[in-house]
Amino acid sequence: MRVGLFVTCLVDLMRPSVGFAALELLKAAGCEVVVPQAQTCCGQPGYNSGDRAAARALALKLVGEFEDCDYVVVPSGSCAGMIRVHYPTLFRDEPAALERVRRLSARTYELTDFLVSVARLDAPPGEFHGVVTFHDSCSGLRELGVQRQPRALLARMPDLTLVEMREATTCCGFGGTFAVKYDDISTRMADKKCAHIDASGADAVVACDLGCLLQIEGRLRRRGDHATMVLHVAEVLAGEEGACG
Amino acid sequence: MNSRERILARIGQALGRPGDPAPAGIEGHLQSHPRGPRPVLEGDAIARFRERAARMASDVAQANAMTDVPGVIARYLEQQRLPLRAVCWPALTRLDWRAAGIQTEARAARADDLVGITGVFAAIAETGTLMLLSGPDTPATVSLLPETHVAVVEVSRVVATMEDAWDRLRAERGAPPRAVNFVSGPSRTADIEQTVTLGAHGPYRVLIVLVGGA
Amino acid sequence: MRLEAVQFRRKAAEALDNERLQRALEKFPSRFVDTRAAALAELGNTEQLRDAAADIRARTLRDLDAWLRRFERAAAARGATVHWAEDADEANRIVTEIARAHGVRKAVKSKSMVTEECGLNEYLERQGLEVIETDLGEYILQLAHEPPSHIVAPVVHKSKEEIAELFEEKHRKPRKDDIAELCREAREELRPHFLGADMGISGANFLIAETGSVLIVTNEGNGRLVTTLPRVHVAVSGIEKVVPTLEDATTLLRLLPRSATGQAITNYVSLLTGTRGAGESEGPEHCHIVLVDAGRSRMLGTELEPMLRCIRCGACMNHCPVYQNIGGHAYGWVYPGPMGAVLTPALAGIEQALDLPNASTFCGACSEVCPVKIPLPDLMRHWRERQTEQRLRPRRERLLLRLWAWTALRPRLYAVVARAVARLLHGLGGSDGLVHRLPGASGWTRGRDLPAPPGLTFHALYRKRRGA
Repeated sequence: MRVGLFVTCLVDLMRPSVGFAALELLKAAGCEVVVPQAQTCCGQPGYNSGDRAAARALALKLVGEFEDCDYVVVPSGSCAGMIRVHYPTLFRDEPAALERVRRLSARTYELTDFLVSVARLDAPPGEFHGVVTFHDSCSGLRELGVQRQPRALLARMPDLTLVEMREATTCCGFGGTFAVKYDDISTRMADKKCAHIDASGADAVVACDLGCLLQIEGRLRRRGDHATMVLHVAEVLAGEEGACG
Repeated sequence: MNSRERILARIGQALGRPGDPAPAGIEGHLQSHPRGPRPVLEGDAIARFRERAARMASDVAQANAMTDVPGVIARYLEQQRLPLRAVCWPALTRLDWRAAGIQTEARAARADDLVGITGVFAAIAETGTLMLLSGPDTPATVSLLPETHVAVVEVSRVVATMEDAWDRLRAERGAPPRAVNFVSGPSRTADIEQTVTLGAHGPYRVLIVLVGGA
Repeated sequence: MRLEAVQFRRKAAEALDNERLQRALEKFPSRFVDTRAAALAELGNTEQLRDAAADIRARTLRDLDAWLRRFERAAAARGATVHWAEDADEANRIVTEIARAHGVRKAVKSKSMVTEECGLNEYLERQGLEVIETDLGEYILQLAHEPPSHIVAPVVHKSKEEIAELFEEKHRKPRKDDIAELCREAREELRPHFLGADMGISGANFLIAETGSVLIVTNEGNGRLVTTLPRVHVAVSGIEKVVPTLEDATTLLRLLPRSATGQAITNYVSLLTGTRGAGESEGPEHCHIVLVDAGRSRMLGTELEPMLRCIRCGACMNHCPVYQNIGGHAYGWVYPGPMGAVLTPALAGIEQALDLPNASTFCGACSEVCPVKIPLPDLMRHWRERQTEQRLRPRRERLLLRLWAWTALRPRLYAVVARAVARLLHGLGGSDGLVHRLPGASGWTRGRDLPAPPGLTFHALYRKRRGA
């Protein structure tokens, strides 16, 4: 099973450990992993800002880079959702391109979804001692149905306890460029998320999307919480948290 | 072209068929008026109606036969410390109100009426809802202006769903009268701080007297 | 209603600082979200119902002209007069002419969002008519001279203390502090208006083509009073509200109150057909139905067509995390929240509401709860695309986006830039590994820190590891 890992531009830039953790997990699940070197961005910032042309150009670029893989796996619900759900709509009026895009979209998975539904990873290699709470990232949850998969994987870690916070499925306020354009609203949304995390009493908050993690960690730290760990689910499952750099 | 023609022309244009062809499916849909998905209602319709009506904050009382209805209502009014005086549907004058001590006037309601007594056309088990049709003998104001509304419901009028009620309306009346009012409990508002308060512009309380089937 | 959507940013900022409003908004998760979920859960077939509801609305829109003609014919057969209005101004003129023709001096009104669009009250008042809103929330707003902040719960932004003060001042009666007493006081104030009005103005939740009826849902009973007591009834409705049959309306009614307030059914559902019948001593002698286009037909046949399915339940705003934090007034017009973000630019003009479709994280909570499955984030994105095409986005934003796309399409250059940015951000991180101030993106660091990256990109590290 040849799996193409699309690490995403945010992970590439801000948190490489997530990419290496994803690599580790896919290998542990018995996959042959390739990381196409020309990959950059899935095009989501352009798409969500109303620049369809830019999004289409980047979509075609990505499709070309991953076409020869059996699967494309992405450690991000929003980027996986972009490829799986939104790429086909970008080409809905061009039958030839649409067919090609669809073939790839259908083989694209968010990381935990892939590990549970396709690769059937039984024992995550990492270790984690402590209590975590899980934040459901919007695109993964609502576009791809990622909800039980990460929880199922976390449940397979013997020393980890999962506690649910209130309103786990409510948006953290990141929303890509929204976080900068409407920073006051975005920050208030993050505040409510932080309060729920705080009330859960967890040692760490875990999510499937780096965007959410930057938002949550950024606000937690500004609020003076330097203790609660903010981790990508891949880092927890692979035991890569804080490693690498 | 007037506004009507301009609007209709613009719609036709947008839908890609200018002119006025009545699409074929329309009359067929009206004839068959297909039902949508309905919830599965378990158990007895009358029990369900009773339970649902109570959930909508209606009071429910039981009478064995129509002749018992005035007595049941009189007891309720006494319990609620309400006057034994009511405006009632002309359709209900055949009951012996005087024997139960209730003074009734058969007419449409006025602002100062305190109790209004009506029948129903149907009662819907799904939601505990009363269905009232307006008419010369069944004025709509009687269930609206007084602070207390009493509805007499013979169990034979209880149907499972609103769709069943529409079928009954079509079978018995053909077309709907000027007003078909579905009533589910006393009027209420939650406009102030999302706090539910009973008795907004309509009745403060609704008593449903179920007749038969006990 | 005055259009102030261009002031979104300022109004949103004010809303975030308004403690009374914030306290009111805190109730949304329990009052609207949980109750809706419970009301739908007991049905057991929510998804099937949502599909059926969406299908009814979509199919009717595909033959909208035919259904409107059918409705008009059926309504006329029962003695109602159907009027057509191209825009708000024409709707206002039609209602005024009806009032004049029947010698109307006072009108009572039940809640109608399309008349808010038209600014009907202000128009009629300028023509010398007395117009009284009778929905409790709308009545409070009329006294306070404020616009609604929610389409179902219009006064959700006001506390009971504010309302108590308002009533004390306007009614000149001793102050009441209990909600039930405030409601009773409003009832007593409004009763004489119902009894003395010559005309009742209502909206329409649905128009039934089969029977020519107007269907109205209310809880307070004011909708019934408005359409029963005055001798003239005028129903004002958007042209998109027509549904074919009573059964179709029933399917939608299973979802509308559940989605709106978590009720299985509203206290009153009234199906109104024509005028007072032979032998009846009550009910309006004249019935007029005003069908308002005001931008709706232009949405047909475009990407925005699904928005016309909307049944105005308010679930999208109740579940919107942006609305939950800023309330409805920031949106600056009749329709707030996600549905407003799509509808306001469509009805009022794209340049009048540039912020609205952008002020969303695309979290998708709105479309997840929409009873007629309107893809609201897709439609907001539609407006973002039109803004880009029409060069309505700020120059700096357009430039940055173009630069980003241009770079991302050139992997070698992109890698160089990414490495430089990673190093820069790493350098900006303090001893705590956090960037506290970010030049060029101060929006981020105004309220948040940025966890500094380790300094090397994933791809650089990956190449290193593989080379090693």
